[in-house]
This record gives sequence, C-alpha cells and structure tokens, in this order.
Amino acid sequence: MFWRVLRRLFVASRGRLIIALVAVASGAAVTTALLNLQWDAERKLSAEFRTLGANVTILPRGATGQAAPADPLASPLENENVMARLAQATAANPVTAAPYLYVVAKVPQASHKEQDVIVAGTWLDESSRLTPWWKITGETIAARDDSAHCLIGSTAARQLGLSPGSPVTLQYAGRSATFTVGGVIHSGAEEDSQIFANLAAVQKLAGLEGRIGLVQLSVPGTPREIAAVVTRLTAALPDLEVRPVRQLAEAEGRLLGRMRGLIFAMVVLILGLTMLCVLASMAALAMERRRDVGLMKAIGGSMSRIVRIFLAEAGALGFVGGVAGYVLGIALSQWIGRRAFNVAIAVRPEVLPLVVALMVGVALAGALPLRLLGRVRPAEILRGE
Amino acid sequence: MLPLVQVERLTKVFGSVRALDGVTFEIAEGEWIAIMGPSGSGKTTLINILGGLDRPSSGSAVVAGQEIGALREDELTRYRAEKIGFIFQQYHLVPYLSALENVMLAQYFHSMTDESAAEESLRQVGLGHRLRHLPSQLSGGEQQRVAIARALINQPKLILADEPTGNVDEANEQIILDLLRALHAAGHTIAIVTHDPGIGRMTDRRIELAHGRLSQITAAASGRLF
Repeated sequence: MFWRVLRRLFVASRGRLIIALVAVASGAAVTTALLNLQWDAERKLSAEFRTLGANVTILPRGATGQAAPADPLASPLENENVMARLAQATAANPVTAAPYLYVVAKVPQASHKEQDVIVAGTWLDESSRLTPWWKITGETIAARDDSAHCLIGSTAARQLGLSPGSPVTLQYAGRSATFTVGGVIHSGAEEDSQIFANLAAVQKLAGLEGRIGLVQLSVPGTPREIAAVVTRLTAALPDLEVRPVRQLAEAEGRLLGRMRGLIFAMVVLILGLTMLCVLASMAALAMERRRDVGLMKAIGGSMSRIVRIFLAEAGALGFVGGVAGYVLGIALSQWIGRRAFNVAIAVRPEVLPLVVALMVGVALAGALPLRLLGRVRPAEILRGE
Repeated sequence: MLPLVQVERLTKVFGSVRALDGVTFEIAEGEWIAIMGPSGSGKTTLINILGGLDRPSSGSAVVAGQEIGALREDELTRYRAEKIGFIFQQYHLVPYLSALENVMLAQYFHSMTDESAAEESLRQVGLGHRLRHLPSQLSGGEQQRVAIARALINQPKLILADEPTGNVDEANEQIILDLLRALHAAGHTIAIVTHDPGIGRMTDRRIELAHGRLSQITAAASGRLF
C-alpha cells in the first residue's frame, strides 16, 4: 500500500513535483559539471605548471642551490651515479630529470680580451623537456652524446658576436673545448646569458669527470603527489637534499586551493538555491495536502507513517533528479571543457553517488513543509469544510 | 454488561465558548442512537470527542474501556484506527486513490492490507463494479458508500456518522439508511448526528443537545423520555 500511495501521490501532484524535479536536476547538473571540471582542472593545471620547468631540485646537503657558485671547487660535488639511484627510486612513476654541472668559463675575444660566461653541462635531450618555454633559433640538440654542438643564450650570443654555425672556444683552468653553436636560446630568463653543452664535454673541460652539481626534475601530479615523490626521494637519497622549488609549489598550491574553495562555495550556493526551489514547491504541496493528511489521521494514520510517505516522495525526487542531473552535468562539463579550455574532460563515475546523495539530502531538507504536516489536527481540518 | 460508551459531565471549551457543558449519557453495545439538536448545539464536538479527534476540557468519555481524555496522541491514533469507524458528511475520501484503495488505506493504517477483504467490503455496499474508480468518477451517494465501507473494514467497536446523508440525493439517502439499518441489525453500535427527525425515529434513542447541554434523551420507539 505504501508504494501504491506513493505512486498515486506522484501522479496527483505531478505538476508541482515536475517543477521541483527540474530544480533538483538543474542543481545536480551544475554540481556534477563543477565537480567533474574540478577533478580534471586540477590535473590540467598541474600539467600547465609543469611547463614552467623543474619543480624539484636535488642538491648536495647544505648547498645553496645556486647555479653558478663563485668557486666551483669550493662546493661539494655529487657522484654521477645519483642519476642511476634516482631512476631506480622513480621507476614506478618516471620523472623528467637532468644533471647539471655549472662552471664559469672564459671565451677568448679579439684583441686578447676574454669574456666570462656561465657554462652548463647537461643532458641536452632531457633539459629541453624541462624547459619547454625556450624558443630556439637555429638547430636544437636532440642527442645526449652530441659533444660537438652547444646552445647559447641570446644575450651571450649578442655579447660574444655568435650565431648558429659559429665556433666558440671555452677555456677553463688551462683546458679548452671548442663547440659549434647549434641554436640560440630565447628564454627571457637567466638562461639567455648561459651556454649549454654536453655534460661529459663540460666535465672534461672542468677536470671534474663523473661529477655534477645538481639535478633538476619535473615531477608530474598535484602538489600532494609531488610532495609524496619528494618524500620518497628523500628516503631513497639520504645523503642528498631533495628540495621542491618553493615558489612554484606555493603558487600551484595557492591557485589550486583558491580554485577548490571557489568551486566548493559555488556548490554550496547551488545546493542552497536548489533547496529553496524544492522548499517552495513542497510548501505549496503541503497546503494542498492538509485536508488529506487530516483525513488520514482521522482514520487512524500515525504521524510517522504519514510523514514517511511524504519523505519517500521527496527522497525519490532527489534520487531521480540527481541521476538525471548527473547525465546532464557530464554533458555540460564536456561542453565547457571543449569551449572554454579546448580539452576533453574525463567522465568521473565517482561523482554520481556523491551528487545523488547531495540531491536526496537537499530534497529531504526542502521537504520540511511536508514534515510539518504531521502537526495537522484532523478535527480542525475536517471542520473547515 | 458495561455500556460501550460512558460519558460523564463532559465539557469542551473553545476560548470563551462552551461547546459542551456537563453532558452525561451512556450507549450500550449494539445500540443505535441519534445525536440531535440545532446548529451550534455541540453535536459535532461530541462526536469528535467520542471519535478521538478531540479531547474533553473536563469530565470523562470512556469508549470500549478507554478514557479518551487520558490517551496520549499516539494512543489516540491507535484508538481511532482500531475502535472507531468514521462516516463524514463530506465523505472525505482521498481524491487520488480509487474506491478500493481508499478502503485499503484504512487497513494500512490499522495493520496490514487485504485487498480481497476490501473488495468484499465494497461489494457489501453495492460497489463491487466500481472498485477502480476515483472519487471524482463516483456520485455523492457512491462516495458515501465507499466511506461506509472504509469505516467498517477494521471491525470498529463504534461507528460515528456525522450527517451521513447530508450531501446525497434522496435515492442515495435511502440506500445509505438501509445500509445503516443492516449494520444495526448485525449488532454494530452506531451514533449518528442528524437534523432529520425521520432518521432520529429509526434509531433506538435520541440524545438532544441545546447550547452544549443535554436537553433530553428519548427512546425513539416508545417516545419514553430518559
């Protein structure tokens, strides 16, 4: 009989219930779209932050992390096998990593003058992945073992009068090495004043074979995932200091935090507005049903049994609206993803139970006027005919 | 044998209005009594108290051994479900339930539904062919007969009818009165509120109220006053 009465209630009050259903489905759709976008947006935002370069640095313990120490022989150097240990520690979740050895070399000029320039020896294939914002005129260097060519920053190239194809000789502590400029880097940052060459060649120039100064990594994922990798690396490399790039981590964390807060506030607002719409419909329904409730009580209906029917009605409304809204919300998030961000937003099935639960809760809260029908006094209602 | 209904110095006050003022009477089991009087005399108030829809301000009303004034709200609800069968002047059927479902609703609130018993109840009031009809599809007399079937389905101790023929045409009035006569003959205890002296004469006794007070009790057959 319970389900029979419930079915009849839906049919009898379908006009008002459809309005409430539309409100619930709309609220569910927007909530679904926001939650779906948030999940994907966090990932995509993190990916965007990765294009800003390395977000983790591995240094000798106690090092300042400066790229060009005043006296390279004074700074402790790491053994190159740190790269093998790093690869082992990140085998499950590979990262982009490149070793660096910085030296200040001299470039002989005309009229017996010399120009100091910072030279970075590195794996040029990996470092190019760490610096996707570099614009290079000329040729890039794709092979890690290419020791014949180098890349030069635009400022250094201008000062030294070099261009792609020019030879450049670097001198350090009585040793020299000659490269051919492959390409000119335009970064807009300090790299414009540096020369980048094959690691082994720079190690040989500096007389520091097998030694590096630091490792830069680009670790993918959310700030929490990055922090987990940093913790793992710290445990795996206890003799070294694993340091996240503070500015990037903080900026990413702040932005993500603000985004999460904004989405949370919007979801709360949507839920509140949905509840008000449901409340309005249910208030009108409650007025219509006072006589019926009075009658039910007169023929022996207990308050709990009567209210249970109405709450089931509200719960069903929330469930159906939640499911319908979820489907609409997925479509909405896909549309927003394509139009606003030009990306495909993944469907998150875990959002469905959350949205349905929220909508059932909102519908039950909005059904307060129906719950108050339990206080109807049958004698007064039936007398008022 | 103890009477089914014992009312003693029953008083009901609404604000400054004394709707009932010290009414005392009894109803024996199987008796059919009429509660009569002009408008505002307290008839509906009395029947509402006997039916557990209202509480006395003072005095006592004991029905089937239960003191109405002492019952809690949940106990009053059970009392209405188990002991009372109401027949209202305006029928008061649930408009979106069929005739059969209206009768089953009373079963649902009592204990469990029994569709075949509900069907039989409607057949007994001559509506076996209108089970699936909504109240809007039934005439006034048919709706009142559904209300009678609903009132009887849980085997109530006391049937309370408040002007049951007040909103039906003459033909249906006769059908309803025949039903009530049959119920009385079957041993049901009935209290009927009516303005109609003709209906009053059909009953065992007439209780007449005036301004909330009991003015007289008459045995309908003999005309003897109590």
